[in-house]
Amino acid sequence: MERQSARHTATSDSDQYRRERIRRMNRNFFLHIHATKVHPHSLKPETTFGLGMILGFLFVVMLLTGVLLMLNYTPSVGQAYSSVKNIVHAVPGGRIIRNVHRLASHGMVIVVFLHLLRVFYTGSYLGGRTLNWIIGVCMFVVVLLMSFSGYLLPWDQLSYWAVTIGSNIAASARELTDLLGITKFLDVGGFFQRLLIGGETVGQPALTRFFMLHVIFLPVTLLVLTAVHFWRIRKDGGLSRPASVEKQEKLFSWPVVMWAELAIFIGVVAVVLLLAFFMDAPLLEKANPAHPDNPAKSPWYFLGIQELVSYSAFAGGLLIPVLFLWFMFSIPYRDREEEHVGIWFSGVRGRKVARNAAMISLGVVIVQVFVMVQFGWLRDWLPGISQWFVMLINPATITVGVFVLLSLQVRKRTGSSRMAAIALFTAAMVALVIFTVIGIWFRGANWEFVL
Amino acid sequence: MHDNWLIRCNSKGFYIFLVQFSQLQNDPMNRRGFVRKISLTLAAVAGALFGISFLKQFTARTGSTGKRRKVGYTADFPVDNYTYIDDLKIFVYRDHEAVRAVSAVCTHLGCTVQHTIDGFECPCHGSCYSPEGKVLSGPAPTALSWYKMEKAPDGALLVNLGETVAPGERYLIV
Repeated sequence: MERQSARHTATSDSDQYRRERIRRMNRNFFLHIHATKVHPHSLKPETTFGLGMILGFLFVVMLLTGVLLMLNYTPSVGQAYSSVKNIVHAVPGGRIIRNVHRLASHGMVIVVFLHLLRVFYTGSYLGGRTLNWIIGVCMFVVVLLMSFSGYLLPWDQLSYWAVTIGSNIAASARELTDLLGITKFLDVGGFFQRLLIGGETVGQPALTRFFMLHVIFLPVTLLVLTAVHFWRIRKDGGLSRPASVEKQEKLFSWPVVMWAELAIFIGVVAVVLLLAFFMDAPLLEKANPAHPDNPAKSPWYFLGIQELVSYSAFAGGLLIPVLFLWFMFSIPYRDREEEHVGIWFSGVRGRKVARNAAMISLGVVIVQVFVMVQFGWLRDWLPGISQWFVMLINPATITVGVFVLLSLQVRKRTGSSRMAAIALFTAAMVALVIFTVIGIWFRGANWEFVL
Repeated sequence: MHDNWLIRCNSKGFYIFLVQFSQLQNDPMNRRGFVRKISLTLAAVAGALFGISFLKQFTARTGSTGKRRKVGYTADFPVDNYTYIDDLKIFVYRDHEAVRAVSAVCTHLGCTVQHTIDGFECPCHGSCYSPEGKVLSGPAPTALSWYKMEKAPDGALLVNLGETVAPGERYLIV
């Protein structure tokens, strides 16, 4: 009956037709996260490239495959490894399910990074969208934590040593408290380490905690944040768009948005399934707490951090990531130039600033790594030098210093906070990519440089 | 502001301080504002205390006693050799006159170091240590620890993981 009326009214341009289309979105709990009308600019592929929707659908894929994996997994030190082996070799379709879960998680890490770039470069953290930007940065962190916590569960060599390194990064505040001589009274690093892995070394308490984090705490957190993130888009008046297109007439969301989202969903599932058929998730030897593999590498997306950590645990693992997050959270408060919202790079000038910052970042990082590889660093020149210098003067901290100066200089030259933000953000992102590339392809046994 | 309870409490000095304080903030404080600020501060302190004690529930308790571990008998260790003890992550070194124990856990990020001709080397981020455990290169912040060795009544060697000693110190074999 209802269907009939919809079909009947679909042809007429009447009040009833409009009401019908609004009703379609409003009366459905899952659809009403959309507004009943959508701006045509939001539907253009180059506005968002659909990255947010891709993330949403990948998350759904993660949840479904995750539940299936959980049915066959045992979170105990003695049985975790064999239960994952069992999933791969004995459970019907288990290999594909595990592959999909892994590829979707890699996909989420890549796409969340691209989504961050898109939102930043279109200036979409302004125009009343400050809160949603902050929620988004939180989601970025949660996605990384989720993939990290998932790494321990198979209990193979990669799991064990990646989490050993990770938990010691959490403890790396000790490097600072040791230097200040206050570790005995105020062991912040040790507190975080015991909180994270329930002891000094990775064992059953760590596995229990990571299992809980991976299957309950972080997914629920991400689910809630996702709901708020989507809801805020509606409250903020839809996706950001330039003022020039503001006057264009909005379209009814039903059915155009549905078609667009269905297409993205099908595309995501197709790509993940196709890749999962050919790319098997690795499972190394069972964890051996006595000996790490050589080189012992984290998952690829943490190798940029691992490269920084190889200069100094505290500076690379804690100080710089915290500074980076602080910068991300503070962007909407530092830059309040609302006139460029929705325009890629805020126009030609921003494109230039971004290009220059990228080149400078490339130069600064590569020159320093070259010096380090060819001539060594402080400890090789001045044996016995204080740890203060090793911690505070290394390629990671110098890079950060150069970037801050760069953004101050851009600020002074252009008089624009947006340009300064573009310079700093671009430089940081390019450096992150280069450090990651170095960590993935140019570090071999004993973390020595290899070509 | 004549009805300010602070005046009625007759603590004039404190009131003046508050007035000055509120002027510093460029925000004249009335009773409502004052009560709100105090409540918020108290709530924040209570929240922080609650948060810390809540998180403390999740940290493991590690006792300081019972750090002595049996590693075997002197005869188990070949002379001039670094023997790796798996579960304790230490090397036991024996030369012609003594045995000693050094931690095999890299002080950088906790990987297990390998013994080489030049000393010790970490496979994770390439920290190098001298035979005495001092940092030669790489990101390691501190030297490897040497542990005190003792002898049990039955002659077994014990490593006291709770007590570190100077690098040169040796447990003499009698």
